[in-house]
Amino acid sequence: METLKSALDFSDFPRLDLVVAGSLAILFLIFPVFPHSSFAMATMIQFLMFSLYGMGWNTIGGYGGQVDLGKAQYVGIGAYTTTVMLVRWDIPFWFSMPVGVCFAVLWSFVLGYPLFRLKGHYFAIATIATSLVLKDLFEVWDFVGAARGLEISPIKFPPPDFLRLIFKEDVYYYDVILGFFFVGILYMNWFRKSRLGFQLRAIKDNEEVARSLGINVHWAKIKTYAIATAFVSVVGSFHACYIKNIEPEDTMSLDISILIALMAMLGGAGSLWGPIIGAGILIPLKSYLKEWLGATAGLIGIDLILYALIIMVISAFEPRGIWGIVQKVRRRRQ
Amino acid sequence: MALLELERVTKNFGGLMANHEISFAVGKGELLGLIGPNGAGKTTLFNCISGAYPVTSGRIFFDGEDITALKAHEVARRGLARTFQVYVASGDLTVIENVMVGCFMHTRSRSRARAQAGEVLKDLGIHDLSTALLNELPVASQKRVSMATAIATQPRLLLLDEVAAGLNPGEIEEIMGSIRHVHEELGMTVMLIEHVMELVMKISHRVIVLDYGQKIAEGAPEAITRDPAVIKAYLGERYAREHGAV
Amino acid sequence: MEILLSALVSGLLLGLVLALVALGLTIIFGVMDIVNFAHGEFLMVGMYTGLLTAQGLGIDPLLTLPVAGAVGFLLGIVCYFGFIKFLLRGPMVAQLLGTFGLMLFLRNLALLIFGSEDRALHHGLLVGKSFDIGMGVIVSATKLAAAGLSVAAFVAVWLFMNRTRIGKALTATALNRSAARYMGIPTERMNALAWGAGGASVTIAGALIVNFWSVNPFIGLLFTMIAFAIVALGGFGSVPGAFFAGLVVGLIMEIPGFWDFFMFTFNADWMAKVPMTSFKYMWVYLAYFVIMVVRPRGLFGWKH
Repeated sequence: METLKSALDFSDFPRLDLVVAGSLAILFLIFPVFPHSSFAMATMIQFLMFSLYGMGWNTIGGYGGQVDLGKAQYVGIGAYTTTVMLVRWDIPFWFSMPVGVCFAVLWSFVLGYPLFRLKGHYFAIATIATSLVLKDLFEVWDFVGAARGLEISPIKFPPPDFLRLIFKEDVYYYDVILGFFFVGILYMNWFRKSRLGFQLRAIKDNEEVARSLGINVHWAKIKTYAIATAFVSVVGSFHACYIKNIEPEDTMSLDISILIALMAMLGGAGSLWGPIIGAGILIPLKSYLKEWLGATAGLIGIDLILYALIIMVISAFEPRGIWGIVQKVRRRRQ
Repeated sequence: MALLELERVTKNFGGLMANHEISFAVGKGELLGLIGPNGAGKTTLFNCISGAYPVTSGRIFFDGEDITALKAHEVARRGLARTFQVYVASGDLTVIENVMVGCFMHTRSRSRARAQAGEVLKDLGIHDLSTALLNELPVASQKRVSMATAIATQPRLLLLDEVAAGLNPGEIEEIMGSIRHVHEELGMTVMLIEHVMELVMKISHRVIVLDYGQKIAEGAPEAITRDPAVIKAYLGERYAREHGAV
Repeated sequence: MEILLSALVSGLLLGLVLALVALGLTIIFGVMDIVNFAHGEFLMVGMYTGLLTAQGLGIDPLLTLPVAGAVGFLLGIVCYFGFIKFLLRGPMVAQLLGTFGLMLFLRNLALLIFGSEDRALHHGLLVGKSFDIGMGVIVSATKLAAAGLSVAAFVAVWLFMNRTRIGKALTATALNRSAARYMGIPTERMNALAWGAGGASVTIAGALIVNFWSVNPFIGLLFTMIAFAIVALGGFGSVPGAFFAGLVVGLIMEIPGFWDFFMFTFNADWMAKVPMTSFKYMWVYLAYFVIMVVRPRGLFGWKH
């Protein structure tokens, strides 16, 4: 009961935040009613997905300060579990998604135990390494279609299928992911105020001090890593049903890992709104840049160049991201 | 019975012997001072007791239990808290949030942690700093916050590492009041490392002196100040000889 | 037996070149405790420089090494003063992400300019030539030359770090930054120098590698990971460590070759079913992970 109350309690934010957040929430809810292009709809879905990815990353990366650049492997585990179970045994999304989460979390424990013996750079590089190993394995594993990947055929599963999450119109996917999005925000709102949330922030501040306060640093990190993993895996499962065609290269590549980390970093790591702000800027930028520049002039890679420049500027001049700037301005005003 | 007991505790760093066969006991309700020149191994000893470093040899007992092999967080959960000399904080947490982390050792409830943290801050007279960021505070306040955070874990034994270093006389007076309050009102056993002699000699029941990693003296404050070995350690051989001769 | 020897020789030769790839990373890390994620991209720049200079001027690829070195030195210096300097003020996380951004930038800039297709050298003094060094082991001339030049480069760097005034200043900065500053060593310029030297050594390695390895804009990450594995094994910051660890990692990358040897020797059919060569570079990633977890200080860790 107290958990629910805490999740619904946003009272420690200034009123301006709540007004903005509330109006955006309403806007998201009524967005499908307005006339929109399918491109805009796809962008919105991407935005919601990456907000969720970012929220997951934000637990361990933002609040915990452990830069994890290997989240794509869990996207892969979620996506592949759902696809394989659907294609091979006709098990619908709502059952395969939790199974995917279990697999992902299990794997995260296996990796997390040795991973969190490492710190800083070493940790970050090791997360990349683990993710690339898993991707290499999936690329030769015939059971999951190796490098060709797997396809969910819309002929075999005629849409609309609410149980298997197979639709023709994007608006259904939008509704589902928007639901996850709101649940995600509530969870994160609870998380940041929970005991684990506080302990993580203390760990980020100073591990030695955290230990002296009775915090099992290693275990707290592993637990949080599992939470982050669960978030990513759920969205990965959704991704599989939405895209309907997955292969190791586009679910588990390093680029996905970077993007996930980037959402929270740009918006403001370690803040509730950070990943949403980050995704709100980066995803539309990416989609529209690709649409305008990439497709028209044959300038491939220019969207990523812009990304790279954003990362560089942010990391050099404002490591706390956009939310960090907002807070700095606010503190100065006081 | 002793609350904390050290049995020939030795700590080596490579070839350097930081602590050599140190034995002593801290009784329940005692207020013990640990002094010694720079580099005598005082903080290393704290690190060994609190489980931050593994000891090379020797044993440590806390309330009758052997805690030698326990990790830092396990020691902390048994009721042994400490402060840190240099407090490096990234400045993510406000003062009250910092103290709440300590409170979370005994409760899962945020509201309870918040209430308790408020209480501790009020106790130490720094309630008005609640919403400040730690790294924006002056050193004196940071040390008080560090103390508050340790107290928030409701320890039976509190290790204070140079809480008065670098403070002006007024601030020392205040922190002395805080230590007394913790010791008398909250009933904690306190052990403190201190260079500020007017503080440690005034409030300690008993003082232990370390020099070059060894215990060279132990006794009541008045006796310690007259101990030739201590004078030698602090002021050098010549001074001791000359003044001993006078 | 020939298979085993071939794998061994080929692994060691590759290892020598890879050691040179890692050298720049370990210098930069040693001097300023910052990990350069864009390291492989520097190598890619070296590869393109070697390739384009050789093709553009119609000279032998081995003659392009000075050009590649100069480009790398400049690139390092420019990156330091234009970007890395600002990163150093921020937290570790920012440094990590910053060099990551640099990597993305260079990679996609290359993609924009050169396109995504593989490019390889077809002409050159040694390209395509190979000879028998006995016992049925055939070695490609380019690899042998690259390995030899790599050893020469290592000796040169070692002499520079230990015998010259400026090299000693660099070593001093690496060992104790603040002490070096009190001694009057301009640490800011030392940082820049480390980036220049690191950049030059890795672009030279790139110009060597392009003799027997085709280049595309995405090649960087692989070499970054290889360099990380080598530096992790050799000890972050250690120059001799990088040399020996390079040999080890070269052998690790030859695992498919050794696999073939055992397959033929023991006539094990099940071994043939394992798609060893399609595991590509998994061994390198795995090696990094295992090394870091088992022995974080590496074999020759010297600083911590």
